[in-house]
Amino acid sequence: MDPVGRTVSVLGFGDPGRAIVHDWAAATPAGRLTWCVVAERADDATLTALAAQVRTARVGWRLMLAGPEVDVLAARAVATGLGLLDAEIRTAVTGADHKRVSCPHCRVITEAEVPVGAEVPCRGCARRLHVYAHVSRRTGAYLGFMADAEEIA
Amino acid sequence: MTAVLPARPATTPGEVPELLLEVAAVAHAADGVRALTLRHPDGAPLPGYAPGSHVVLTCGDRRNAYSLTGEGAPGEAYRISVLLRPDGRGGSAFVHGLAVGDRLAVSWPRSAFAPVATARHHVLVAGGIGITPMLSHARAAVRWGRSFELVYGHRPGAGAHREEVAAVCGERLTVHESTPGMLDAVAAVLADRPIGTHVYVCGPAPLIDFVERTAEELGWPAERVHAERFSADLDPGEPFTAHLSRSGVRVPVPPGVSLLAALEGAGVAVPSTCRQGVCGECRVAVVSGRPLHRDLYLSEAERSAGDAVMCCVSRSLDDHLGLDL
Ligand code: FES
Repeated sequence: MDPVGRTVSVLGFGDPGRAIVHDWAAATPAGRLTWCVVAERADDATLTALAAQVRTARVGWRLMLAGPEVDVLAARAVATGLGLLDAEIRTAVTGADHKRVSCPHCRVITEAEVPVGAEVPCRGCARRLHVYAHVSRRTGAYLGFMADAEEIA
Repeated sequence: MTAVLPARPATTPGEVPELLLEVAAVAHAADGVRALTLRHPDGAPLPGYAPGSHVVLTCGDRRNAYSLTGEGAPGEAYRISVLLRPDGRGGSAFVHGLAVGDRLAVSWPRSAFAPVATARHHVLVAGGIGITPMLSHARAAVRWGRSFELVYGHRPGAGAHREEVAAVCGERLTVHESTPGMLDAVAAVLADRPIGTHVYVCGPAPLIDFVERTAEELGWPAERVHAERFSADLDPGEPFTAHLSRSGVRVPVPPGVSLLAALEGAGVAVPSTCRQGVCGECRVAVVSGRPLHRDLYLSEAERSAGDAVMCCVSRSLDDHLGLDL
């Protein structure tokens, strides 16, 4: 639990996230926890609810996110996009097998179980994407790099 | 009195190029506060600057930093407002002695207190003559449609630029003429502002300390709190030891003694000109430890990189500061 937050919201994803959310909620002093939700995935409905929390929050608020990396990154991107700072977000990642990879060509995001350094076909334009070890702050997705870039050029 | 100083060429790498400007107007801004308008003698346009920037004036044998109060658009004349400090080291008396037509050496503007571009709302807090950078912030915020408010505290009747500030800010201004009223107002603002807000404070050291402490207690991360101190106002600081990595020498720096003075006392020569954190001359590379930056010279990026320190005013957050000397 972040001791310097005046108010705290907690969002967890899946069963691994649920366990952490319960620990965090139990450790948060009474009256400080303003929102506590466990969702299956960082889907549109969950991210919309999160955005509403961020929009109405006052400075002094902290957001805590727990669960698989793919969901935590997507939620963090929504929060930072609305002006939250890294110092105001705490994350606990329970696994990172699943990734969102953005295509530099068609901008579509592909979800797949793929390690960094491997390749995945883009579901938008079918180009082969090399999964680069860099996460976009804006989208929370890994950067895909066209695997056959040299051949095209 | 007329003082005509030659423009100084940029000689050392850290030094900023200088302009030779002419006093175009002198006005009374409040009791003891002189507002100067500076122009290029041949009418050439002056470079623009980020809101909250300052210039360094060569005041006889001293160099002093003053905030620019304009919006910062390229081509604007430079405006500064200077409070006469009878107990000061002469810089303010020099400026108060200037008359229309006098020429003086003025550095290019330096930005060390700019608004954060991504902020959703800007809270400006000014105490006394600390209004000067805030006037610049407010003008630019109005111009660019940024959300802001200004809390201005000053002694009864002694508010510099009071009418101008009111005209620029309108409803977004609150003025307090008593210290308790000012502090209450600032605390109330810090307790309830939307996430994404940044706060900027300039004024006497106790006001800055109050804002920093209150913001921290209310859960504001340090990244959202920006302060500009008057350079004459530095506290003696905590003791620390400078480790000179090349020579292996250790130099203790007691409270009240600057790192520069301690190095000089140990026989280590470091070039210096202003000795108040504005000219950029005394920069020393840091190899270990975290500097406590108190200068007006380094940019925000250079500060956070933490690999250089202006040793005339800055100190150390850690017990030891490793220097490349
Ligand atoms: S910045 Fe001028 S001597 Fe230190």
